[in-house]
Amino acid sequence: MDDTGDAALIARCLGGQQDAYEAIVTRYQRGLFTVALRMLGNYEDARDATQNAFVKAYEHLNSFDPEQRFFSWLFRILKNECLNVLRARRPFQSVSLDMPSDRAADPVEVRERQKAIQTALMSLSTEYREVVVLRHYTDLSYDDIAAALGIPATKVKSRLYTARQQLGELLMDWRVAR
Amino acid sequence: MTNINDPWRDDEVTRTLNDLPPVDPPSTLVNDVMSTIASRKAARATHPSVIPTKRGKLMAKKVLWIVAATAALALITMRLVGYPPVEKGTEATIGAAQRYQSPQISSADVKTEDAQLQAFLQSDLFRQLTTDKTARQALKNKDFQKALQEPAVRAALASSDVRDAIGSVKLGVAGDAAALAKSDVALRAALDANAALKAAFESSPALRAALASQDVIAAMKSAALAAVLSQSDVSIRLSNDAAIRAVLSAPDVALDAAAAAGGAAGSATRDAAPSAVR
Repeated sequence: MDDTGDAALIARCLGGQQDAYEAIVTRYQRGLFTVALRMLGNYEDARDATQNAFVKAYEHLNSFDPEQRFFSWLFRILKNECLNVLRARRPFQSVSLDMPSDRAADPVEVRERQKAIQTALMSLSTEYREVVVLRHYTDLSYDDIAAALGIPATKVKSRLYTARQQLGELLMDWRVAR
Repeated sequence: MTNINDPWRDDEVTRTLNDLPPVDPPSTLVNDVMSTIASRKAARATHPSVIPTKRGKLMAKKVLWIVAATAALALITMRLVGYPPVEKGTEATIGAAQRYQSPQISSADVKTEDAQLQAFLQSDLFRQLTTDKTARQALKNKDFQKALQEPAVRAALASSDVRDAIGSVKLGVAGDAAALAKSDVALRAALDANAALKAAFESSPALRAALASQDVIAAMKSAALAAVLSQSDVSIRLSNDAAIRAVLSAPDVALDAAAAAGGAAGSATRDAAPSAVR
């Protein structure tokens, strides 16, 4: 997620050139969608959350502080969208963790493993899940994660430690069960 | 309990997490985002004042304003027309109290029963009095009003010599009039020179008290007051007529405004007099 050129694209957007925003969406769609998918564990929900986040970011682009990383700012918007989705889910509602059909070609064992990992991720609290997702599925540094979450980098590390510990437990249970 | 400090375990967790493959975003995501932005822009251009509420309903600001204005207008109208009506005997229990509201006094309400009074109120002399602050101040003095009711005082003050003599009394030393008469050379000379004044001064405590007032002494130089004092009937009227006294006692601002209106002074005083009589 190289943010080189973001400032120029954003300036063009603010100048009324909508095509510049298309370039931004193209640039960040993969990173943002991956985060949404790992946070929500559901393809359709992740698509909606990502789409809403991009639209809201466009509508509030003039409030973006160029001193920040654009992805960090985008992530904060996406996080709110994800929280809205999670809040809207009924307690104990089962969520389909199936991936789109292009993943259907994967061997059953691989798909089961991936499903177990995602289930384990979903078992974490949102606070722990977001640090794991940002650390493992984006190229953000600890400082970038800290900036995106609005917490000190030391807290990012401690949360990550605890989250990994919990994940280890969960995944060990899965391995034993097999 | 898992020991996460075990390097193998930490690596295992990391490796496991990395087993989740990157997933391509929906191929239509970019188009969907851009078309949503475009449609929202178009909606705003078509309905600039429409704002979405949290529940997804649309409420126009203009409609809100119109409803608020209509409600305010209805409330004001109901207040003015006294709606809902209050039945007899239930006033001030439920609904607005039916308080008495007297109408403003208009010129038609002014009825002066005394033709002479009316004529005097419309005279130039009265207009001069109302525009002469010094004369008005003197005529407000209760002692002076009382003194003017005495024929001897009126007779004495009708003389310009007497008025000049009183007017030449030093201002600023007024206090006990008897003591003043002794100390003020000019007054003593005036009293000695004018038997009528001396008689009036000695017989009238009201005059002595009046002459202790700087306002009265200063007013002796007033042309308007001189004109009044030289006409005995006018002096009587001024001292006796409550209506005229009330007019002359009106706040300076009101009379000054009337004076500024020139010919309107008569009507202003006419308006003031009846209300004073009431």
